[in-house]
Amino acid sequence: MTAKLSDKATQQAMIPATPTGKQRQKRSDYWFDFNQSIPAGQRLVLGAAGWAAFLLLWQVTSQMDLAPDRLYPGPAAVFSSLQELFLEKGFFSDVVSSVTRIVISFAIAIVIALPIGLLMGSFARVDSLLNPLLGAWRYLPAPAFIPLLLMWLGTGDTQKITLLLMGVVFFLVIMLADVTRQTPRVLIETAKTLGGGRRIILWTVLFRHSLPGYVDTCRQMLAVSWTYLVIAEIVAATDGIGAMMMRAKRFVHVDDIMAGIVTIGVLGLLFDVLFRLIYRKCFPYLGRAQS
Amino acid sequence: MLSAQGLSVSAIGKTFRSGGQTVQALDDISLSLPAGKVGVLLGPSGCGKSTLLRMVAGLEKPSEGAITLNGRAVNQPGRDRGMVFQDYTSFPWLSVRSNVAYGLEINGDRDALNEGTVDHFIRAVGLEKFADAYPHQLSGGMRQRVAIARTLANYPELVLMDEPFGALDPETRWQMQDLLLNVVRKEQNTVLVVTHDIEEALYLGDVVFFLSRHPGRLKETIHTDFKALLPRNDREAFLQSEDYRRLEIHIRRLMRDEGRDAA
Repeated sequence: MTAKLSDKATQQAMIPATPTGKQRQKRSDYWFDFNQSIPAGQRLVLGAAGWAAFLLLWQVTSQMDLAPDRLYPGPAAVFSSLQELFLEKGFFSDVVSSVTRIVISFAIAIVIALPIGLLMGSFARVDSLLNPLLGAWRYLPAPAFIPLLLMWLGTGDTQKITLLLMGVVFFLVIMLADVTRQTPRVLIETAKTLGGGRRIILWTVLFRHSLPGYVDTCRQMLAVSWTYLVIAEIVAATDGIGAMMMRAKRFVHVDDIMAGIVTIGVLGLLFDVLFRLIYRKCFPYLGRAQS
Repeated sequence: MLSAQGLSVSAIGKTFRSGGQTVQALDDISLSLPAGKVGVLLGPSGCGKSTLLRMVAGLEKPSEGAITLNGRAVNQPGRDRGMVFQDYTSFPWLSVRSNVAYGLEINGDRDALNEGTVDHFIRAVGLEKFADAYPHQLSGGMRQRVAIARTLANYPELVLMDEPFGALDPETRWQMQDLLLNVVRKEQNTVLVVTHDIEEALYLGDVVFFLSRHPGRLKETIHTDFKALLPRNDREAFLQSEDYRRLEIHIRRLMRDEGRDAA
């Protein structure tokens, strides 16, 4: 509260009550200058304002009789059905199975992609061998493999986790290799002239230097994982967030479908925040003051 | 070649292929640097002095000739030849202390670590107050001191420095030059420094190797014995001495001649 007040105070101090032409210029500079860094409090307020505007727009349009309430429920209806889903319809177990699929598939993706990406980014010959192959696989849409995966793996979790894995792992390998490749040559040479062998330099320089980049890449690829989740759970699934949404569609429960979307959004955001926290906690040396 | 101790560079040549053409960067360079001395590679930009230094480090391979250090052939990088680079190459994820300890850690040198070698060299470069800081919290000069301490703590037989103070402001550069001289005199290191700064070359070097360019050849070897008669760490006495002025003018002419060839 005090922070906000002092913000207002400085704001007023900087903006005179009677703006002349020159001072009006200053006011717009205050609001919109390039490369500005703004106080954390203001950032929070602005972020909340964006959300508030969105919810307001949704509420207003839902009351305007553009579509029947059944097909276009407002935010209040969606939140109450969300509550109902969790409290009465056992939605929590759906969420648990979705999150489990994401976590397992992504963990496997990291275990596969990290060593390959590290080696590709470190050694040009490994890169030349694998980059054309894996780079091409990136462009094959994972959902196109659903018929094959259904025949090979059935309709169980294995098929779904494999689909999620296929959607992410090729991108992950290429991106982790890119991160590794950005290790400054001079750091590698420094380690060489200190007597470091190949294995030592691989771990204590290339891997260690790339670690923050790896975490950031994983954060971004996890978002892709969530998009594949719905596709995986729409096909022949009995549980999970996507399966719930398909069930709701059969009975035209649009509010439940929207509640599912909201749930996915919130979960995605939570994972994003989690990764950002890891990043900040684990890499304190990446101070913002990189002068 | 006469003394087995120290660095010996014999008949080194280096050719690059660029755009289908063969470019001779270095031609028939022979020099020797006795153990415990500070040698300087001086020359105009493009004379290949950094390339020569990198070949001594083992980071590049000569096209012709051979390099030996204390009688052993050089053909790859090794702990015996530590290098300080122009960019202040600290490992950003390690504190100052861990940076200085890095070489001893990866070589598994428990003895040196237990003997307080790391703290000794952190003190030697005057960073004891910043031992737990991360490199991004330090100035450029301080980061270069971390690099020097890290190199010396690893006990190399030869210290290589590639324009180590080139990116520093003059005041800091002078301080760093004195600091370097104090440390290497005390530790009796053998040092080979690359620079294009005449004053720095004469101030640091016991012997200055002047290279010409296109191709890089050893044009002149200059000994700075006159400094033995001067008070140590007295830059003013050094700059005002008759010998310094004479050598400075002489080298300046050499530099100018090189520039004329290029133009």
